[in-house]
Amino acid sequence: MLEIKNISKSFYRKEALNDVSFSVRKGEVFGLLGPNGAGKTTLIRIINRIVEQDKGSIRFEGNLMTEKDLLHIGYLPEERGLYKSMTVQNQVLFLGRLRGLSKKDTLAKIDYWFDKFKINDWRKKRIEELSKGMAQKIQFICAVLHEPKLLILDEPFSGFDPINVELIKQELIEMRADGRTIILSTHNMKSVEEICDRAILIHDSKKIAEGSITELQSENKEGLYAVRFRGSMIAFVNALWTGFELVDKDILGDDRFVAKVKMRGENSFQDLLKVLIGQIEIEAAWEILPSMQDVFIELVQPVKKEADEK
Amino acid sequence: MKNSLLIALREFKERIGTRSFITLSVLGPLSVLAMIFLLFTFGGNSKQHWNVLVADHGNLLESKIMPGKSGAVSYSFYNGVINDADFAEGKKYQKFDALLEVNEKVLTNKIGFVFFREEPDLRMQSRVQYHLERRLEEVLIERFKTVSLEDYRKIKQPLTLRFANVYDPNEESSNLEGWAGLFFGALIFAFIFLFGMTILRSVANEKSNRIVEVLLASVSPKQLMLGKIIGIGFSAFLQFAFWLIIIGFGLYFMRENIFPDMLDAGNMNVTQLVIDSAEQSYQESHFAAREYNQFIELVFERLQFSNILGFFIIFFILGYLFYGALFAAVGATTGSESDGQQFVLPLIFLLCLALYAGYYTLNYPESPMASLFAYLPFTSPVVVMVKLTMGYGAGEVYQIYVSMIILLISAIVMLLIASRLYKNGILQFGHRVRLKHIFKWLRKT
Repeated sequence: MLEIKNISKSFYRKEALNDVSFSVRKGEVFGLLGPNGAGKTTLIRIINRIVEQDKGSIRFEGNLMTEKDLLHIGYLPEERGLYKSMTVQNQVLFLGRLRGLSKKDTLAKIDYWFDKFKINDWRKKRIEELSKGMAQKIQFICAVLHEPKLLILDEPFSGFDPINVELIKQELIEMRADGRTIILSTHNMKSVEEICDRAILIHDSKKIAEGSITELQSENKEGLYAVRFRGSMIAFVNALWTGFELVDKDILGDDRFVAKVKMRGENSFQDLLKVLIGQIEIEAAWEILPSMQDVFIELVQPVKKEADEK
Repeated sequence: MKNSLLIALREFKERIGTRSFITLSVLGPLSVLAMIFLLFTFGGNSKQHWNVLVADHGNLLESKIMPGKSGAVSYSFYNGVINDADFAEGKKYQKFDALLEVNEKVLTNKIGFVFFREEPDLRMQSRVQYHLERRLEEVLIERFKTVSLEDYRKIKQPLTLRFANVYDPNEESSNLEGWAGLFFGALIFAFIFLFGMTILRSVANEKSNRIVEVLLASVSPKQLMLGKIIGIGFSAFLQFAFWLIIIGFGLYFMRENIFPDMLDAGNMNVTQLVIDSAEQSYQESHFAAREYNQFIELVFERLQFSNILGFFIIFFILGYLFYGALFAAVGATTGSESDGQQFVLPLIFLLCLALYAGYYTLNYPESPMASLFAYLPFTSPVVVMVKLTMGYGAGEVYQIYVSMIILLISAIVMLLIASRLYKNGILQFGHRVRLKHIFKWLRKT
């Protein structure tokens, strides 16, 4: 769907992107992750042809991207605004028409989205009369109105209350089911886990990781396992002996626990199970993958330290 | 182009919906009309009495002239030639306020010359002109006895008196048309500044409320800038049309209802004047009419509106595009609307320069500086208006087209430069743009 190849960009002497390459497949939600100032927004602007790259190329559906392809892209920038004095309907109509829709089509889409979001009575309101969250909804509608093949969302959940965050998430999941491709740039790692299929992590203008969410989590796992069992906690700890380390525990009842255990040395999950069987009654055991939040911190911090040391 | 038009349409609708647009569209022309009305009604008043020396080399007037009852002008005669320099410096001439030169030619070319020490007000100018005109009529009638005075007055041509400062004879004071031109030029610049600032504010606004990024994902910066300039330009044009209609209607109304007798030659009551010619008081009462006649005649007869209007519109559009692009570029390179104010100063300086150039041209129309100002795109919209109303010589008409072509090319170049600055500046949030950045952006291809 979208192929980014060796993109580099500098502003004055500051490097914003350094040889970044990745590809986004059709119908997936692709996470664009990275700390503030990593170069995500610059990359998004380059894809939207707002900023020109110094080096590298972008292919859209197999061909070098042109201005015409912009009609198939929906964009919700992080720094987003609307014309304050315009009415909601006129605002959406204007932006829809800029995206190549006819007036009639735009009005039909407005009806559809306003019904869906139950905001029909906002039509005649001026943007300045809306709350931040309300305006965010309008901005989201503006971005998806022309049914783009590729939707690029930069921090789409900021400014929304939890109910509206859910609403937007559901919309994104529906769009993915429709075969649309979504690039999601966010710091909200929970939503990345929930809706992203794959992601890349950019830090200090370079790509430092890429893969599916599970891959990223697996690559950064710390050998942590959870065991749910019946029995005595003392017996459990005694059984672990020196090859394993009890990291955390949850008490579920008088004799029911979930224990989080870290492997030491060459010991494996199999070894853990072996030492535990007979000592306690194992109900379930599983590997704990790191959250994307942990992955993010894990990947970004060493690079940051290195940079700071330099 | 479609996107530019959509943007233009949005800008246009937004502008014409504002209260200030409607207020300015109505109050602006009404205040101009009020000014014209005042100009028509009240003349200037400087020296109450004028002592005029008539240098009548051929004794054409036979030392006779009817100065009227009011005694505002008294005439002395000298049947010889007086050099204007002698008149300026000569001790014996110091008691005279003005030198009126009369010779045989005045009968045919209808042009007389007055050298004054202190510029007379319009009433005084009218008086002298009126007195001389009437005396010349008598002289002519004596020469062509077959024509009755009454018939003669029907076929007569108006006399033109050229007033010049005796200390600076090349500067002709009778340049009311030039002032009208300066007014038109100033009007162009008032519109340019007003709507240029609207462009600047609109760009800075889009930048500060961050909608620009959404827009730039659909349109190129060049399209966005062009759409904005066109849209705001159309609203300026609409406002101008309101001005034109209201002022036009107002002038028509004044002509028909307030000052009818001063405009129509038939209504000038010439026959009545002739009948009452002995009654000097009657004539004097008409000097009031003659006084505003200068303005009324200027507005209704001397100015060739069809000609001026055509060039006015062309220079208005080109000047607007030239400065509009400049304002857009400034808007794009500034961080916020308030930040933009300081960048407006150089633009105000340019506009002041243009107005000064217009004033300079009014005073020294033939000077090389005036020609230069007429070609400079920064100043040409004003200067050409001034020159146009003062009249281009037969061999100089090409200059107007040269000015126009230079302004057109400059407007295109300015649009290209501005779009480059706009493209680079529009997404610079939060940090100050320095001059070196601007040069860097200009160098970028």
